[in-house]
Amino acid sequence: MLTIVFFALSGLDVLDALDVVDKPGLIEWIYSLQVLPTDDKSNLSRCGFRGSSHIGVPYSSSKGPGAPHTYDSGHVAMTYTGLACLVILGDDLSRVDKEACLAGLRALQLEDGSFYAVPEGSENDMRFVYCAACICFMLDDWSGMDCQRAIDYIRRSSSYDSGIGQGAGLESHGGSTFCAVASLCMMGKLQEVFSERELKRIRRWCMFRQQNGFHGRPNKPVDTCYSFWVGATLQLLDVFQYTNFEKNRNYILSTQDRLVGGFAKWPDSHPDPLHTYFGICGLSLIGEAELRKVHPALNISMRAFESLRQLQGAWRQKST
Amino acid sequence: MPYQFYKLLFNVLVFYFRDRKEWADLEPVPQDDGPNPVVKIAYSEKFTDVFDMFRALLQNDEKSERAFALTTEAIDLNAANYTVWHYRRVLLQALDKDLREEMKYITAIIEDQPKNYQVWHHRRMVVEWLNDPSEELQFVAEILSQDAKNYHAWQHRQWVMQEYKLWDGELEYVEELLEEDVRNNSAWNQRHFVINHTSGYSDSSILDREVQYTLKQIKKAPHNESAWNYLNGILQDGGLSSFPGLLEQVTELQDTCSSPYLTAFLVDLYEDALETNSSSYDQQEMFNKALELCKFLAEEKDTIRREYWNYVSRSLQNTYGSGDPVSASSDPPPPPSSSQLPDMEPSDP
Repeated sequence: MLTIVFFALSGLDVLDALDVVDKPGLIEWIYSLQVLPTDDKSNLSRCGFRGSSHIGVPYSSSKGPGAPHTYDSGHVAMTYTGLACLVILGDDLSRVDKEACLAGLRALQLEDGSFYAVPEGSENDMRFVYCAACICFMLDDWSGMDCQRAIDYIRRSSSYDSGIGQGAGLESHGGSTFCAVASLCMMGKLQEVFSERELKRIRRWCMFRQQNGFHGRPNKPVDTCYSFWVGATLQLLDVFQYTNFEKNRNYILSTQDRLVGGFAKWPDSHPDPLHTYFGICGLSLIGEAELRKVHPALNISMRAFESLRQLQGAWRQKST
Repeated sequence: MPYQFYKLLFNVLVFYFRDRKEWADLEPVPQDDGPNPVVKIAYSEKFTDVFDMFRALLQNDEKSERAFALTTEAIDLNAANYTVWHYRRVLLQALDKDLREEMKYITAIIEDQPKNYQVWHHRRMVVEWLNDPSEELQFVAEILSQDAKNYHAWQHRQWVMQEYKLWDGELEYVEELLEEDVRNNSAWNQRHFVINHTSGYSDSSILDREVQYTLKQIKKAPHNESAWNYLNGILQDGGLSSFPGLLEQVTELQDTCSSPYLTAFLVDLYEDALETNSSSYDQQEMFNKALELCKFLAEEKDTIRREYWNYVSRSLQNTYGSGDPVSASSDPPPPPSSSQLPDMEPSDP
């Protein structure tokens, strides 16, 4: 559920419409989703943020220790979107137990460098590598992951066609290519990990995803959200300016719902928060009027990113 | 009036868990979003009833048959709830449940919801516990027959093959799929996966076979990015310009099998000749042809990527040209490594 709140909040932010939101109320609710260390700190490796209150843990606004519960643990995508939402809402993250989040994150990384979503185990792939990178990037602390292993995982996920798959051997895909490239950019290691020749080939693979809008894999239908996944990747690779803005824009707008608004993956389909959000971000990348610019790696507005930078600056000051 | 009638009927027919005597000892636990709930989902009564009971079981970590039955109901209402699946797995082990039955169950659920992450993960766990992959390839093939590009299905298939070393017959399966749809990019990927893990591509007879196979598929369907990507990909190691007769074979296709992919392939081949400073080719000719084709792509063959091909052309000129550095009038001054990007400035990873 927190992921849906993220789409809504970040979308409103890019639309410069956050004033319609009850910021303090939302901040309280997000903090109520934090899985905090219990008194005896025995659950550190399970800390982070939950997606919702579905487990039934009693409401708590992150002002005391966590309540022990056998099945209560964070989820990497929720920790990522939880932190992002707090940043977007202008919170100073002072109630985030950063050390606990980082400990929870370390517990999720596998030997091959990828991540589980939850400590109980789950599937592992590039999506969670990206979530992990976002968490470390926002908390300004890379002790949450073994970067070298994650880098190895990314390299091993490169396909013969130079796109990047969800894991080694898997089909190259616009979503996983974004996750990989954005993660490397946040680590500051893009040029260290890929040679100029390799980067050229990744650019080529991404450029060929444009049909009018973008698709995620060769010979698949286009889908609004790839205007962001692939568009942002091209932006990070310095070549988004060479895409065809007109056709991209026309496609995204063709998926707009004339009755209720929002965007869908295809024209004449039901809109949903994810495609609406990424449609807006896709338009932002081409410089659509009245939309805020989006940070192509972290996937929040540049305004939110600036306030994060300020916050991080203050943290660094304090620690020196 | 009819709505109220149906509601009454429904309440009579549906026996909520909270009203069943076998569940009387358990106090349902509601979801607690505090004084100011932000996201209020309008759950149905049935949904609330099942999940209130689920939360109660979870709190007590109850290990029982009734708990197991409850997870089936919960999954039916929301198969994406990973906590329910995890709890079900705990129960499967604690109650020593029949895993063969569980395989039948998960088979049905996946058939119904083949794009859900949790169901595939659950299947993988059960296969691991049984240490029995014998049904997997057939099952995945069945799912792929409904959607030949289902990423979850392919992921599961690759896991099974690698884990249990089940490589036999896969190349044949891939060829069947390519017969059905030569544009199936997942099948091309799988082709690479199989060969990579079995014979590899270093044997020149294998490489030759693959090149010929791919060119044959290109002749059948020229406008097929997947085939061209495969051809390009398998020849990267050796170098496009080093493969004997390739330039001739591809040039020959220009009239009958023209596509932006063919032209881009030639650009790449010429660039490879330039990069390796190959003595088999006239460097000046390679350079001129590469630029000519970039222009052809920009102006005619691949106009949607016009600006990109102009950029490629400028890069080639700057790298291999003899004149002054080239830039488009719209180009900003050359950036010192990604200054267009927001300043990342991370702390030392």
